[in-house]
Amino acid sequence: MASTIHDQMAAAGKVKRSKYLPQGVERLKEEHRKVVKDCRSQFEHWKKVENDYESLQERLRTLPDKLSYDIMVPFGPLAFMPGKLVHTNELTVLLGDNWFAKCSAKQADALVEHRKKHVKNTLDDLQKVMKNFQNRADFTDDLEKLTGDTGDFVDIREEVINEEEVTKAKHRLAHKANSKPKQEYLLDLEEDKEKKEGDEEGTTGVLSEEELWARLDELERQEELQDERYRYTRLDSTDTNGEDTTSSSEEEKEADGGSDVQVNGHQKENGWVPTSITSQMNGTNGSHPEDEEEEDCDEEAGNGLPTIYFSHTAEFKKVRINTGKNTTLKFSERNEQKAQAKRKKKSGKSNGHSPHESYKITSPADIYRVFVDLVNGEPIPRKSILKSRSRENSVCSDTSESSTADFEERRAAFGRSWSHDDATHSDTSDGITEEESPTGTSPHTNGCFEAFTSTVIEKDPLPCSIPHLTIAPPALPTIPERKLEEVGPEAPQEPPKWMSKFKATRLHQK
Amino acid sequence: MAEAIQKKLQAELEKYQQLQKDVSKSMSARQKLEAQLTENNIVKEELALLDIQNTVYKLIGPVLVKQDLDEAKATVSKRLEYINGEIQRYETLLKEMERKSEQHREVLSSLQQEYQRAQGQAVGKV
Repeated sequence: MASTIHDQMAAAGKVKRSKYLPQGVERLKEEHRKVVKDCRSQFEHWKKVENDYESLQERLRTLPDKLSYDIMVPFGPLAFMPGKLVHTNELTVLLGDNWFAKCSAKQADALVEHRKKHVKNTLDDLQKVMKNFQNRADFTDDLEKLTGDTGDFVDIREEVINEEEVTKAKHRLAHKANSKPKQEYLLDLEEDKEKKEGDEEGTTGVLSEEELWARLDELERQEELQDERYRYTRLDSTDTNGEDTTSSSEEEKEADGGSDVQVNGHQKENGWVPTSITSQMNGTNGSHPEDEEEEDCDEEAGNGLPTIYFSHTAEFKKVRINTGKNTTLKFSERNEQKAQAKRKKKSGKSNGHSPHESYKITSPADIYRVFVDLVNGEPIPRKSILKSRSRENSVCSDTSESSTADFEERRAAFGRSWSHDDATHSDTSDGITEEESPTGTSPHTNGCFEAFTSTVIEKDPLPCSIPHLTIAPPALPTIPERKLEEVGPEAPQEPPKWMSKFKATRLHQK
Repeated sequence: MAEAIQKKLQAELEKYQQLQKDVSKSMSARQKLEAQLTENNIVKEELALLDIQNTVYKLIGPVLVKQDLDEAKATVSKRLEYINGEIQRYETLLKEMERKSEQHREVLSSLQQEYQRAQGQAVGKV
């Protein structure tokens, strides 16, 4: 009995191994059902046996009550005849395997009790097997639903037009105030951004300056993407410093090369909570393996599922909090407050810090207040904070040329502030102040800085020797797709407006 | 060429099938032995529950033959050992047969590949 169960289990196991969906799943379920049915029937059988033993015990208890009973004795297969049952306490018990024993009723009772124990054990085993197989069957059911074309899963796809734009992985990281000149960076610059994003580890090596620049650009883009992700977790987590994904830190390390750029600033950026974000970013960037891995578990076979095609509208630019190390931080209240404090100090920055004050998010309503789209300078509440204009539009999805100018201004201010930061090696709030400084941002409630892609006109030449892998002005991580969309319409206009400080410097040098 | 391979394939296949039958026979024999093992275990335990006063009988054909309790216990123990030994033997036998069938399977697959290649060549030629 047990062996048949084992055989069946082995068979089911073999079946599982050798078959493929969906035929395999059917077969597997079939086997499961068979095993479960078998188990059930055996269970029934043994339950009956147990009941029989129970009634036997009853009989044994009452049998010795009388010396003899008047009964109808079976006489052949078809007849009975009246007779007497005598020696009521003497029983011949079959012990098994052709062995018999003469015992009293009480002894027989004990034997029966012993047998019942065995039966109970068998029943328990059967129960376990049944439950096990039931679980297996349920699991295969779930698996099938998951991967099949049924269930509540809907595939949401978003066509990525410009893959490069999409990848906002870590954009370049912070650099310390005392970071060394770019030339010292030993990086293996990969022109292939895709590869870079996938390979967070990056490689180091001796590189030429151009390669270095390219690498920095790529990292910046990655960082942008990262910030995009970060945006979603920003409001959730107040813990800004603890989170550090290896990728970001590694990138940072790479970017800084020999300099021991503080990883802290960048770490803050990376506190992305993949799970919470990935669900929103279905089918996006192939360049974000982490996300993909997590998405995959939910949306594997997109083909069979109902598909929703998702596309980003112009995205609202988020505020990027630039730390003293020229990295954008996770937007956190603490930083914001610090920023506000610092801002007050640095009144040199143009517009009022209203944008920053508005960043103080304490309630869901604040979110909608903060994340507004600026259209033509007017704040328009966004329908969804997921949607945002591309970062190209500097402050807010404002793709007008004026915004570019604003960017440049801000950039300049950035440069100034950066130099300041470099000197002071100040903390995050500085970054925020920088962000806020551009004059053009006053109409934009969020004062979010878009990653601007035009050329940077550095009013104050930074200590250019210091390679800054700074994150673009956009304070808030934006959804990569957003950028995509913006890039599309803007393509004819000019290449991405946002440019890193490095690039700016580089161009400047050229 | 293809025919020769085909013949070889057939022969191999038959051998493999024969081996599979042997395997299943051994399997069923082993299962029977296992059932007997359980039964004899129960008998042993129940004999332990009895005392010397109870007479023990053994059914030999249509006859119940009286047995001594101790004798019965010894007999049952011996039978148990015998059954265990048999099971061990069948185990090794099964393992051996499994290994052989594995070999046969490999040979079969390689032959099959050859055959297919030959087929392909033949088709190409034609």
